[in-house]
Amino acid sequence: MINCLLIKTSLNKRGMPVRSYRTLTAEELLIGRSAECSIHLLDPRISMHHAVIKRLDDGQFYLLAANGELEVDGAILQSIALTHGLQVMIGPFQLKVEPVPPDVNIAVSLTLVHLLPDDYQGLKSRTHEPLRGASAFKRKLALSLVAFITLIFLALPLAQNLIPNLYATMAKLPLGFDRLWSPGHISNSHLHFGSQCFNCHEVLTQQVTDKACIKCHRNVAPHISNPELQERVFNHNKLFTDGVRCTECHREHKSPHPLARQDNNTCVSCHGNIQAVDSKTKLPNIYDFDHDHPAFKLTFLTNDKEKRVVRVPQTDKARLVEKSNIKFPHSQHFGKVQGPNGIWDVHEMTCTNCHQQEGREMRFKPVSYDQDCATCHANQLTVGPSNKLVTVPHGSEQNVINALKVQAPKQLTHYSESLKTDGCAYCHEINDFKTRTSPATKTLAKLKPKLTTKPESDLPWHIVPLNINQDWFSKAHFNHASHQTQKCQSCHAVEQSDSSADVAMPDRQSCLRCHSGNSPKSKRIASSCMSCHDFHNPHKIQESLPESK
Amino acid sequence: MQRENIFDYKRYRYFKLAIIIIAIAFAAYILFEPTVGYYGGSWLGYSLGTASTTLVFWMAWYGVRKRRFRNSGSTQGWLSAHIYLGTALTVTATLHSGFHFGINVHSLTYALLLIVVISGFFGNYAYMIYPRLMTENMGEDSLDGLLMRIAETDKLARQIAIIMPDDINFIVDRACRETYIGKGLLEQLKGYQANCPTAVAVEKMTVLGSALTGEQRRLYRELYSIMIRRQSLVKRARQDLMYRARLGFWLYFHTPFAIALLAAMVVHIIAVFLYW
Repeated sequence: MINCLLIKTSLNKRGMPVRSYRTLTAEELLIGRSAECSIHLLDPRISMHHAVIKRLDDGQFYLLAANGELEVDGAILQSIALTHGLQVMIGPFQLKVEPVPPDVNIAVSLTLVHLLPDDYQGLKSRTHEPLRGASAFKRKLALSLVAFITLIFLALPLAQNLIPNLYATMAKLPLGFDRLWSPGHISNSHLHFGSQCFNCHEVLTQQVTDKACIKCHRNVAPHISNPELQERVFNHNKLFTDGVRCTECHREHKSPHPLARQDNNTCVSCHGNIQAVDSKTKLPNIYDFDHDHPAFKLTFLTNDKEKRVVRVPQTDKARLVEKSNIKFPHSQHFGKVQGPNGIWDVHEMTCTNCHQQEGREMRFKPVSYDQDCATCHANQLTVGPSNKLVTVPHGSEQNVINALKVQAPKQLTHYSESLKTDGCAYCHEINDFKTRTSPATKTLAKLKPKLTTKPESDLPWHIVPLNINQDWFSKAHFNHASHQTQKCQSCHAVEQSDSSADVAMPDRQSCLRCHSGNSPKSKRIASSCMSCHDFHNPHKIQESLPESK
Repeated sequence: MQRENIFDYKRYRYFKLAIIIIAIAFAAYILFEPTVGYYGGSWLGYSLGTASTTLVFWMAWYGVRKRRFRNSGSTQGWLSAHIYLGTALTVTATLHSGFHFGINVHSLTYALLLIVVISGFFGNYAYMIYPRLMTENMGEDSLDGLLMRIAETDKLARQIAIIMPDDINFIVDRACRETYIGKGLLEQLKGYQANCPTAVAVEKMTVLGSALTGEQRRLYRELYSIMIRRQSLVKRARQDLMYRARLGFWLYFHTPFAIALLAAMVVHIIAVFLYW
């Protein structure tokens, strides 16, 4: 049996402690919120049956946890021996073992040490201000960002330029701080040194000079063949007057845009008033392909040693005659055509049967007999009656005569004459040394006097060498690949051409059907000078001239 | 008659101005293609860049102007212009860039501009949406009023829960003691507390009271309805906080990044003229 003195301590209205005494007698003392408990603690933080005080077999009093927690010096315990002076926390109450007075077994005091907080104040303390500290955060973030930007993007690049030691150190590294100032991608050709800005930007605040370019481009050819004109146009000392710096036309940091300017302004700045640049020029002023571009000039090969080519404007129709020395009617080689074997030998022919494309820009290989003609015309190289056909090789006349000598020595003269008038002459111009001299031969005579005056060999006749043009626009370029969507005939009207003397090159009006000048027009695309022309470079012009063969 | 707001201020005066600026910028961009393609260093690029710079400084001046109380035009008009011209600025700056981007101070400036403008758009959205939602949520109540009503429900709940079994008393007590409103930025922006003790208490109370009988059961039902009411009040308080947080949150980005933009823009201009 437990005989316990319970001392309850509470505070009065003035905050002074008030003690009340009560003696409890029971087998065990139940502590809890429930009304049936011996020690009744009406607090929501106390369990219904929180703990119990018991005397165990050893005669000692124990405080045992029931449904609640017991805490001694911060440790949660299930069983606590009640010894004098011990303090145990039961929820918000403090239980203290007091000195035992006479007539009782044990004395404990209970004090409410953690008052139930005021609900409103408690809730208010747990309700936070929205975005507390936002102003301070924003200020710090702004300052940090400004400091970061100023340091990384301004101070370090400037320091690199202004402090010689740092400049020297950074020059050894693959990247400089000022790389962050680069306004765009560097072209592939300059990429290998472009990571260090000072390679081109030699002095801060100064534009890139021609000297910086010349450091690498020492052997660059003059852009204009006339040295005086070159000096006048590209004099870098005349900046802001009439001189042109390299970087005005070669714009860096614009990759993948081409390094060299492709616009008309570059060309028109001189060609718009070409007389002002070169008073002796015969060129007209040109602003726009659509308006004032002159008629195209076609390049013809000549037999003149001195002047291998001549350029004839397309308006001069009388001179637009190709002297190729071959007989080839396009009209008989287009569409459904009857082959040499009669009506059973009908072919559907297109341009590409003979004109084989090559390269990315779809240039065309020279037409060759073996690849492009022999498939249909192989039987043209026979002579004699059908039961005694003599086949002669295609190539030099000497080989033909040799073949006749071997295969039909008795009919040599007859067959040779036959080939001259019908066989070889089917396609070629023949130069007969004995009878006459053709106009082409007369021209040839100037070039190859030995062949026409006295043949060293015993040839009775000679085939006039071919002079087929391969490059009609020697001062322009044309990309067939870009025009793949068009039919060949839309530019080259050859269906009705009966003679190889006909020239079927498109004129300016033909181009203007799809192209306009500087600005796009309805259903016509804008085309700059660079669309067809390269910037004039005397070396390139020399290289582009077709060789007369 | 409905009052005009920042969007239709003076019959959309600044909206029209922004449209004109955008139209001019686009027309110039389409009609005058620079000789070496679109980029900031062409005459068109410089023109668009100058216009953009002017607009940025003018936008920034709004931040100064609204903190001053000297009369320099209606604040509503300034804000209307700030919104519409800021939108036009995005277009002029984009065209100024010529769509050339890289790892450099120029693209950084553009990126900062986008952050500022996009956060500004969210600010617009917030000021269009949340004040109305706040009014709908709170009615004539204030947050303090709501807290007092929650405290009253807490008192009633505790009084009933104290005579309930431990498990019920515990969850009610925990709900009263551990329910926070707007604890941390994320919870403020989301508007709810994960594992909210009040919500947990309501959820558990649907199953806990099945063993109760008689008077206790009647009191339990009363306790349940009190907790439901509490949950509703807590939710409203949290939503109010959420709306207020969202109303101000975009300024976390808008203001600091606007200042950073000014710095980056100055560096951008200096860099262009140091290396040209």
